[in-house]
Amino acid sequence: MDLETVKERAGPREFSPKDDMPEEYRKAATRMIQFHANSEIMGAYLERPFIRQAPSLERKLAFSAKVQDELGHGQLLYRAAESLGIKTRQEMLDELANGQGKFLNCFHYPMESWVETPMIAFFVDGAAMRRQATLKSTSWEPYAHAMDKVCFEEGFHVKHGEAVLHELMTGSKKEQEMAQAAFEKWWPRIIQFFGPTDKQSTHHGFASEVGLKKMSNDELRRAFLNTYIPKAEKYGLVIPDTPTIEKNDDGTYNVAEDELDWDEFFQIAKNEYEPGLGQIDSRKKAQEAVAWVRESMDNHEQRLYGGTSPQAAD
Amino acid sequence: MAAAQQLPGPQDLTDEQREAVEMLLYRLADDEFVIAERYTEWQVRAPTIESDLSVANIAQDELGHARLWYDLLEDFGYEEPDLIWEREAGDWRHSTLCELPFGEGDWADFVVRSYLYDEAEFVRVKALEGSSYPRLADRVEKVLAEERYHREHARSWLERLCEDDDSRARVQDAVDRLLPYALTLFSPTDEEIEARIDELGLRTENLLSMREAWLDEVVPTLESAGLHVEEAELPEQYDVHHVDFDLPDETGRDQSHTDYWFDLFDEFTKSYRELGRHSAMKIMKDPDDE
Amino acid sequence: MIWEVFRQKKAGDYHTHCGNVHAPDREMALLFAEVQHARRMPTNSLWVVPKDEIGEVDTEDVAFGGTTDKSYRWAMTYNFEAAAEEVAASEDEQAEAERQRKAVVDGDD
Repeated sequence: MDLETVKERAGPREFSPKDDMPEEYRKAATRMIQFHANSEIMGAYLERPFIRQAPSLERKLAFSAKVQDELGHGQLLYRAAESLGIKTRQEMLDELANGQGKFLNCFHYPMESWVETPMIAFFVDGAAMRRQATLKSTSWEPYAHAMDKVCFEEGFHVKHGEAVLHELMTGSKKEQEMAQAAFEKWWPRIIQFFGPTDKQSTHHGFASEVGLKKMSNDELRRAFLNTYIPKAEKYGLVIPDTPTIEKNDDGTYNVAEDELDWDEFFQIAKNEYEPGLGQIDSRKKAQEAVAWVRESMDNHEQRLYGGTSPQAAD
Repeated sequence: MAAAQQLPGPQDLTDEQREAVEMLLYRLADDEFVIAERYTEWQVRAPTIESDLSVANIAQDELGHARLWYDLLEDFGYEEPDLIWEREAGDWRHSTLCELPFGEGDWADFVVRSYLYDEAEFVRVKALEGSSYPRLADRVEKVLAEERYHREHARSWLERLCEDDDSRARVQDAVDRLLPYALTLFSPTDEEIEARIDELGLRTENLLSMREAWLDEVVPTLESAGLHVEEAELPEQYDVHHVDFDLPDETGRDQSHTDYWFDLFDEFTKSYRELGRHSAMKIMKDPDDE
Repeated sequence: MIWEVFRQKKAGDYHTHCGNVHAPDREMALLFAEVQHARRMPTNSLWVVPKDEIGEVDTEDVAFGGTTDKSYRWAMTYNFEAAAEEVAASEDEQAEAERQRKAVVDGDD
C-alpha cells in the first residue's frame, strides 16, 4: 500500500498485519507503540518498591495487582508493536536495557516516599488514561485491541490512586503536608506528560495523518487539566504557582508553557537524565541476571518444536 | 486420629484452647505473609513478562491467604497493626524458609522455594479440612483451591529447568541451600502448645506425620528431575521419626530469625512508621461478609 | 484433520470462533471455511488453526480469577465517583465483567 492510500484510508482500526503497510507507517507505529510499552515497564519498575512499602495489607495487595497490570499492558503493547514486523519483543527490551528505548518523562524521576505514589497512580495514570481512551480508535488494529484491554483495567488504577490520595488528604496534618510537598514536586512533570505544544513535537504530523494518533498534545492536556485540577482542589491540594495557570470564562485552563523546564524535558527524552539512567541501568541488571532462564526456556522450546516453533515471531 | 470434639466460637474458648488456636494461626498467617513479601521481589524482575504476571498472582494469592488467617486472629480483639505493623519483629512465627532473600537473578531459588513451600502448604492445609475449630475449617476450601496453580506452576518450572545441565546445577544449588530451611516449616513453636493443637484436633495430622508426607512427595519428585537429595539416602520411606535432620540454627517457629528478617521487617514497615500511622486501611469487605 | 475457524466480522473487530471444518491442509481448510462459515455471515477475515494445536483449560480444571477475595483488583471496590468519563467507562466494563464472572462461578449463566 502506498502512503497516499494509507492517509486516505486512515480510519479507526483500519490496518492489520495482513495489510501491506509502507515502511514509514510501520516504523512510525513501532516507535509510538514501543514508547508506550516501554513506559508501562518503566512505570511499573518505578512503583515496585511500594508494593513492599504499602502501609496496609490490602493496599499491598492492590499495589501488587496494579504493578502486575502494568506488566500485562507491556505484554499487550509489545505484541502490538511486534506485529508491525520491525522489531521483536526481545530487541525492544534489549533497547530499553541499553538506554536506547525511550519512555515517558515522569518515569525518569525517582520516587522515594509513599506520599508520592498517588502522583503517579492518580494523576499520571489519569493523564495516560485520557490518551489511551483516544487510542482505542488508532488505525493499527492490534494497538487498538491492546487499548481495549488496557482501558478496561486502567479504571482500577486511577481509582486506587485516588483512594490513596484521599486517605492522605484526610489523614494527619503531617500526611497532608507531605502529600502537598509531593504534589508540588510532581505537578510540572505531570503537565509535561503530554509533551510540548504540537509545533515543537517532531513526530506529531505524520502519526496524525496516518491515523495512529487521534488527538493533539494540546487537546489532551486541556482535557486532562479540566478534569484533574478540580479534583486536586477538591482534595485540598493547592495548585503550585509555576507554571501559571489561568482559568478561562468557559471553565477551561491555559498553561504558561514557557515557564516549564523544557531543557530538562528534552534531556530526559534523550535518556540523559541522571536518576532515569539509574532506573534504566538497574532494570538492565535485573534483566541480564535472569538471561540464563530465558536461554534455558529457549532450549526447551527448541527441543520441543525444533525450528518450526509456533511461538516464532510474526 | 480420632475425630475431636468441635470447638466453640472465638469468644467461648478456654484460655488454653485460645492459645493453641492463636499459635496455629500465627504459623499459617506469618508464613503466607512473609513468603509473599519475598515473592513480590520478582515483580518487574522475572525472566519474561508472562512469568512476571504469574509470580505476581501467586504472591497475591498467598497474601490473600495471610489476610484470611490474620482476620481469624482479629476475632480475639487484635487489629491489623497488632498483628503486622506494630508487632515486634522478634515475635513472628514464620519458618525461616520464607524470610531468606533472593540472590539477584536466582530464579532457581524462587522455583525451588515455591515448590517446597507449596507442597508443604498443600499438606498442612489439607490437615485443616477436618479442623475442630469451625472458623478455620470454613476457610480451607478457598485456600486449597488456589494451591493447585501454585504447585503446578512450581513443578512445571522445576522440570523444565532441570532439562539443561547448566540450569539444573543452579536448581541443585538451591535445593542444597533451601532444603534445611524448608524442614523448619514442620518445626514446633512450643512443644507443649503444638501437642495441644493436635489433642484439640485443630489439625488432623501432627508435624511429624506431615513432614513425612511432604518428604514422600518432594524427594521422589526432585530425584526424578535428576536432582540429588541428601536425605534420600536414608532408609526406605524416609522414616523421619528416627532421623535427625540438620536444621538451621534459626527455625523461625521458635522466634529465632536470621538477620535478613529484621531488615525485611524494617523495609516493609517503613511507610507505616514514616507516616506515623496507628491504623491500617481496609479496602475490601470483611471476609465473613463475602 | 480438523481445523478450528475464527471469523472477523469487519476490519478492526476481533476474530471469534465460529466453527470448524475437516480438511487435509491449511489451504483446503481456508477454502472449505470460506464457504461453510462465511457464505452468508458478514465476514472481513477468517483464520484457520489445527485443532490439535489448541490447548485448553476450563472451569472443570480451574477457578479463573481465584477463589479468595480479589476485589482489590476491581475499580468498583474504590468508593469514589469516577474522576473522568474514561474512568467511568472502565468501571462500567469491569462491573459487567465481574457480574458475568460471578454468574459463571455460580453456574447460572
